[in-house]
Amino acid sequence: MSGPVALHTPTTPVAGAALASDPVLRVNDIQAHFRTQHFGVSREVRAVDGVTFDVRRNEIYGLAGESSSGKTTLIKTIAGAIKPPLQVVGGSVQFSFMPGYPGLHAAPAAEVERVRWRHLSYVMQGSMNVLNPMRRVISTFQDFAWRHLGGSRKQFEERVVAHLARVRLDPAVLRAYPHELSGGMRQRVTIALATICKPDFIIADEPTTALDVIVQKDVLGMIRSIQQEMGSSVLFVTHDMGVHAHLTDRLGIMYGGRLVEEAPTPEIFSRPLHPYTVYLIGSLPRIGDDTPRKSLEGSPPNLADPPTGCRFHPRCPLAMEVCARQVPPMVESLPGHRVACHAVNPGAAA
Amino acid sequence: MSGYLAYLAKRLGQFVLVVFIGVNIAYVVTHATPIDPVEQSISAVTSFGNTAPEAIEQMRQSLKELYGVGGSWREQYFTFWSRILRADFGPSMSAFPTPVSALIGRALPWTVGLLVVSTLVTWALGNLLGGLAGYYQRSRSFKLMGVVAMGLHPIPYYIVALMLLIVFGFLWPVLPITGGSAMNLPQGWTLAFIGSVLKHSILPALSLILIGVGSWFLGMRSLVSNIVTEDYVQFAELGGVNRRRILGSYVMRNALGPQVTGLAMSLGGIFNGAIITEKVFGYPGVGTLLVDAVYAGDYGLVLGVTTISILGVSAGVLAIDLLYPLFDPRVQVA
Repeated sequence: MSGPVALHTPTTPVAGAALASDPVLRVNDIQAHFRTQHFGVSREVRAVDGVTFDVRRNEIYGLAGESSSGKTTLIKTIAGAIKPPLQVVGGSVQFSFMPGYPGLHAAPAAEVERVRWRHLSYVMQGSMNVLNPMRRVISTFQDFAWRHLGGSRKQFEERVVAHLARVRLDPAVLRAYPHELSGGMRQRVTIALATICKPDFIIADEPTTALDVIVQKDVLGMIRSIQQEMGSSVLFVTHDMGVHAHLTDRLGIMYGGRLVEEAPTPEIFSRPLHPYTVYLIGSLPRIGDDTPRKSLEGSPPNLADPPTGCRFHPRCPLAMEVCARQVPPMVESLPGHRVACHAVNPGAAA
Repeated sequence: MSGYLAYLAKRLGQFVLVVFIGVNIAYVVTHATPIDPVEQSISAVTSFGNTAPEAIEQMRQSLKELYGVGGSWREQYFTFWSRILRADFGPSMSAFPTPVSALIGRALPWTVGLLVVSTLVTWALGNLLGGLAGYYQRSRSFKLMGVVAMGLHPIPYYIVALMLLIVFGFLWPVLPITGGSAMNLPQGWTLAFIGSVLKHSILPALSLILIGVGSWFLGMRSLVSNIVTEDYVQFAELGGVNRRRILGSYVMRNALGPQVTGLAMSLGGIFNGAIITEKVFGYPGVGTLLVDAVYAGDYGLVLGVTTISILGVSAGVLAIDLLYPLFDPRVQVA
């Protein structure tokens, strides 16, 4: 808490949110596009088009959105996994532990190597296949973490064993090959791997999608407890709103490569403001409520040729004339609750 | 462990069966040739002047006995197997009375020396370059290498071999064009002889390597370009794992499986000799021996060479099957 002195500098809408505690990650107007050129025809897919948000210390920030909303590309950009045809066109991704560089994609190799796994780690989508099938689990731990933790081989192994106990894994798994472990065990191994260096920031990309519900609950609880114990920040990405409700502190909703709404998770569920979010929340089943769910007309925008103005306007029930013309700015409509919508924030567009 | 022993026993039984069937097929095929080695030898002897018909008949009888071709087909067949089991292929018919095993024993070191070295070099070079080319897909020099490999690959082997002969034997005559060593040197572990052998092996080895590298290169490149998109490779890159470690232990190691099987097959095939190579470069190996034996109808020798080659290929496959669990932890025996 930085005290009441610096409260409300009205020029930056983010400032209020950022004051609560210093952000570990500050994403500022990031734009990442896929640029391809085949036989002289160039094509640009604006997968991430101007996203701004902060992730604070010791919080789990959720990112939700349907397929092709750009959330995976956003994650890749933040993680610095930029490979052609993906290009960062503008904006920055600033980490508190890597001052002075506008993102991993723009940092020198030595800096990237210093940061990776020590400060920034991942639990990946499809964690079933993220462990090298030809290497014993202990070797994978050595490959990822030894250079940061140091110590002799024996000291390092003792440390890994102690850490495995936190995710309730037997030390015997270290001698096993990945195919000898069950899906849940493998996922726990990857969580232990991602947390052993006590990183400041963990990116979790759909880590529970391939698991059955029982294991899912177990894994989510584990992520939560380790995160609280270590004080790491987590960026948690999934399309599963149930998981978000269960786990995340704040939630950002993506649509068509942009962030359309962001608020504390309970508030998003109780008081969604953006029309897209309203539909998203409205589509969730509730016990005892058997009215048919309304589905949204139309389909997600083609990001190679996105709609002008607000990307949601062709499907939006509240669409106005201005929506097709102007991109709605992200405005803090309620304290800690930002929305990008002309209908919610009339007159916000300058 | 008892599971492994059961597997071993089963696999060994399979090996024996494959060799038995293979040798039988070779036996039938060689005995079905219209060339009769006895008549071949007799005509060679009798072509100079007159020989009494009784003497010819006598010679025919003793030759049949020596060659093991007398008696009914059943007797011949059992004679053949009892000899094989004692590793005795009988005397050669075209180089009578030298035993077949002595002929093969003389030719085998040449072939094995040349082919083991060139096969290993080809394999290592092709896989290393192919692996790098698959990993650094955007590198210009590896792209160029791919184009060269793709262009060299379909050229028939004998064209490359003859080109090498023309370039290094006539246009710029720096290397010997035929033989396994200089004729005037006594064979033995002398420096002069070893040097001569090495010098004579450069062209045949180079021709084999040039033609062989391309297919390993292309195979490994496509294997690796599949592996690099695997989750565990991307994950390791995001994890900041050392690049060299990723290339070695994550990419190459995991792509190598099919290539190791291929290596075992081609090492087993060495005992065939490289027939065209040995013919073109006049190399005194098993391939030359085999071709000459076929021309002479010397089926003792043909059978000897084929049996050794059947044993070689089957043993190579057997070795790979037994060693594979060590190489890939996912392969289970039981």
